Amino acid sequence: MDVTMSYATQDIWTWWIAIYLYFGGLGAATLAVTFLTDMYLKPHRDLVLWGAWSGIVLLALGSLMLFGHLLDHVAVIHVLNPLVLFYQPHAWIAWGTQFIIWMMFWGVLYALPYMYISPFFQKLWGVNRVMDWGWVQKIAELSTRYRKFIGWMATINGVGVAVYTGLLVQSFPAVALWHNPGIPLLFTVSAFSTAMAFLLLLMYVVIHDAADDHIRVLYERIDLVLISVELVIIFSFYQFMSSGDESAMRSLQLLWNDLGWLIGFIGFGLVVPFLLELRGVLKGWTSHVPIVAASLLILVGGYLLRHYIMYNGVYAYPW
Amino acid sequence: MTRYAMVIDLNTCVGCNACMAACAMENQTEVWNDVWRTYVHDKEIGTGEYAHRRFFPRLCNHCDNPPCMSVCPTGATYRLDNGIVKVDQALCMGCRACAMACPYDARHEVTYADVRTGREFYGSDYRRTRPSMDKCTFCDHRLAAGQQPACVETCVGSARMFCDLDDPDDPVTRIVESGVARPLMPHLGTRPNVYYIDDMKRRG
Repeated sequence: MDVTMSYATQDIWTWWIAIYLYFGGLGAATLAVTFLTDMYLKPHRDLVLWGAWSGIVLLALGSLMLFGHLLDHVAVIHVLNPLVLFYQPHAWIAWGTQFIIWMMFWGVLYALPYMYISPFFQKLWGVNRVMDWGWVQKIAELSTRYRKFIGWMATINGVGVAVYTGLLVQSFPAVALWHNPGIPLLFTVSAFSTAMAFLLLLMYVVIHDAADDHIRVLYERIDLVLISVELVIIFSFYQFMSSGDESAMRSLQLLWNDLGWLIGFIGFGLVVPFLLELRGVLKGWTSHVPIVAASLLILVGGYLLRHYIMYNGVYAYPW
Repeated sequence: MTRYAMVIDLNTCVGCNACMAACAMENQTEVWNDVWRTYVHDKEIGTGEYAHRRFFPRLCNHCDNPPCMSVCPTGATYRLDNGIVKVDQALCMGCRACAMACPYDARHEVTYADVRTGREFYGSDYRRTRPSMDKCTFCDHRLAAGQQPACVETCVGSARMFCDLDDPDDPVTRIVESGVARPLMPHLGTRPNVYYIDDMKRRG
């Protein structure tokens, strides 16, 4: 029967799930990196507030993409219940949903004390009134007291979200491009790389504090390593797909004949930012424009990666 | 214990699609969207004088290790002791992860619009009340009444045969045990319970 195989890509999870995976990884990794920076490198109000709230907003937007495409929106209540992990421990969406919820919960708790000393939140109508409530102030005090515990809870759940995005795609056994241990690794590395790019963009364009130079340099170096690892993983994928499973070989033919993947993702999403950041680390730049440009390219590349991975998984049907 | 399985003989399927029609009417599927719980693929194989048409019936394989069940975040997909894999409409939120996981393309969606159309199409007999993912149930309601699945009963070429794998005296079970009928893509580890008798060996 094998001689009659046919091959097809899918149109079930398309760009909207690519956005969900992208925002999920980016938002979660951003939150985790800013909290770790705040706990162990330098207490940094603005970085935490930006990291926490942009992470939460990105996660919320990504989750909305998934929610919007559910067939029965009311039934989502079943996956919001934390007990779902006891009877569906093998379902990654169940884990991902809980990671997202608890990352947001601990993220808000960690950011809360900083909101009290932030002029923006003090003036933000509605939020400032909520911050005046006694029990909210009590929670902020507790958050300050248990800062590291809360920070780690948020970080663990954030890393969980970033890893989950890859594990979810990996859990579909029919498609060789997805069902391999490289996908969770690739998505996790990409999530943290895009988070570094996002934070560099924030620190160069929005926060812009000269006292943060050492943080920016560290982020650039980490991002350089992450892009290098990503390039190695992509090369390994090429090797993995070029022989063996027909489904993988078909995916390879689709990807490596697509200029969006080759030039868009690998070229401008990885290689060009890698070179820009390498030059920055080795010799430095007189302007921050090259790093800002590299960050923008990495952010676009992060979406392209997920977009092309989702669209180019090939099912092998024996009919 | 009962373990249901189906054997499909590709030598005798004539591509009449009666199984599709019988299944659709029995299970009130969304035929207006060209959506079927079972589908018969029509494919030309070979070239020149060796060319022939193959009709390939496809349905849920009711796997012993169903990936659709393991990825289901709400537990809506479940497996009965008799091997039948089902969807609980009330629990299913329709994330479509099951459709992504199924190697046999055996899942399809039923939307709010389909439920409304279904009420018009099937009238007051329409059983579905809410959207969800949908799939073959081996007509378990018919099995409970001592009948065969609708697709098996209607098959004019007897290409579809149904059996209990735990009944060694069942002639269809013996076909499976003989190794003549084989599951699709066993290397994926899904351990399917639909077996196919290949037609290629009889040709050429």
